[in-house]
Amino acid sequence: MTASLQHLTADEIEQWAVGLLGASRAIHLAQCADCFAAAERERKFFRDLAQLARLAPAADFADKVMAQVRIPAPSGGFERR
Amino acid sequence: MFSLLYRMVRDRALAEDLAQETFVKVLNGLASYRAEFKFSSWIFKIANNAAIDHLRKRDLDTLSIDGSPHATTPDEIAATALQVDGRGEDPLQEVEARELGGAIERAIGRLRPEYRACILLRHVEGHSYEEIARILDLPLGTVKTYIHRARNELRTHLEDRRE
Repeated sequence: MTASLQHLTADEIEQWAVGLLGASRAIHLAQCADCFAAAERERKFFRDLAQLARLAPAADFADKVMAQVRIPAPSGGFERR
Repeated sequence: MFSLLYRMVRDRALAEDLAQETFVKVLNGLASYRAEFKFSSWIFKIANNAAIDHLRKRDLDTLSIDGSPHATTPDEIAATALQVDGRGEDPLQEVEARELGGAIERAIGRLRPEYRACILLRHVEGHSYEEIARILDLPLGTVKTYIHRARNELRTHLEDRRE
């Protein structure tokens, strides 16, 4: 079976979903309805995952962190901010 | 990074504590940073270790997006619940997006921690397989296997929701 006839592997479907599938394998995708359907399902799945909400800590987060960071003091050693 | 911690431990206050711990370790430990490691990967590695250490100490593997299991009052439940954004352009799309987002959050919450970390690092944080292997200290093949299994579990959970 030539490369253009072989169905895409799971790795190749992922490569296509993220835009990295090589042209030679993309030819198969254009000609195979089964692979195309599987690839479209995978792309939608990846897109849904990527669109999950970005979560952020509270506004005073940076202050709380910096209060615990040791800052090198001019006299040597460390000091807290 | 905060998103990863929040989704790993499912408790806002705890995620903030772990994120603080992570950044304090990063900033106080800059001298130990090795340049061959991508800086963001180093931060994620410290954060993930903090989350995994916590999960090992406490049985928080399977949780709800409806708030921390330790929350006892409505205020605590609201404060610890994951906020799922709607991203649609009209009210119906927004409701659908919220429902789908909520279903995905629940499905991710049902994954075992190792799978959860892999799927979040890959599909939410956008790391490569190689970066994930370095962050989690796992062989590349193991990362691929975990992600493959995690996707299958997520699909199964999401299909269960549709039936």
